Amino acid sequence: MPAQSVWMIRLSLAWLFLATLIGSILLVHKAVELHPAMWSLLPLHFETAIWGWAVQLAMGTAYWIFPRHLVGTKRGPEKPVCWVLILFNTGLITLLAGYLHQSVLPLKLTGRGVMTFTVIIFGILMWSRVKSYSSHTH
Amino acid sequence: MPKVTRLFIKSGLVYLFLGIAMALVAELPQVNTGALLLPVYWHMIVIGWVTQVIMGVSIWMFPRRKRSRENIESVPALFSFWTLNSGLILRFTAEPFILLFQGNSAIISVVVISSLLHIAAVLFYLTEIWPRVFMRKYVKRKKQ
Repeated sequence: MPAQSVWMIRLSLAWLFLATLIGSILLVHKAVELHPAMWSLLPLHFETAIWGWAVQLAMGTAYWIFPRHLVGTKRGPEKPVCWVLILFNTGLITLLAGYLHQSVLPLKLTGRGVMTFTVIIFGILMWSRVKSYSSHTH
Repeated sequence: MPKVTRLFIKSGLVYLFLGIAMALVAELPQVNTGALLLPVYWHMIVIGWVTQVIMGVSIWMFPRRKRSRENIESVPALFSFWTLNSGLILRFTAEPFILLFQGNSAIISVVVISSLLHIAAVLFYLTEIWPRVFMRKYVKRKKQ
């Protein structure tokens, strides 16, 4: 498994744990009120579960398992994928901070913007690996 | 395919069916549940189906450091399945009634136990899968 996939999958597992923890606290809060501001954690639960866990796990697994190039570097340029990994998670953290501090700077917009940019870069990098070896001429 | 993977996927399929059926029922004009069933069917789809299939397939496909029958049928993976599914059953049984019976101690107990089971399930899954997310070192074989 390449290092980029290892870190994407490990981070996705960490986000899974955080999403479950927040979800469990919210479920208990639904039955017994823990704190009046607790529902402000609801968007954090969605964002961590969808982007942090499911999407990032799919990205890490796709980068690892999709058909590799027969010439040049096996999985294409490696450094941009490292930047995708770093920026995607930084964008997600910025987005979550935006939910918690809504009056401070356009954090949500910045976070979403960074995440969108990284997903586009990832899509461009992966595009050429969505192929079949049988159609490849040697 | 390991037994635990089959359990995860089959259970996932059941939740997929239940989730989509519940979403259909909630759309019927005669059934006015409002937002009562919304978290139930969303969690049936997202945890019951999507997460369980991811868990099952990753337990099956992710590389193992040692290949043996004992490793394939691992205890943490089985614990993860049973804690997650018992947590989900308790949750789906209690969640629609939380707002109707606010403060009911039985409902509160079920919800708290369900939450703890969800967390335990993820911890068991992490125990199983974390060591299997690693970089394989390629050792060049000596030419004979």
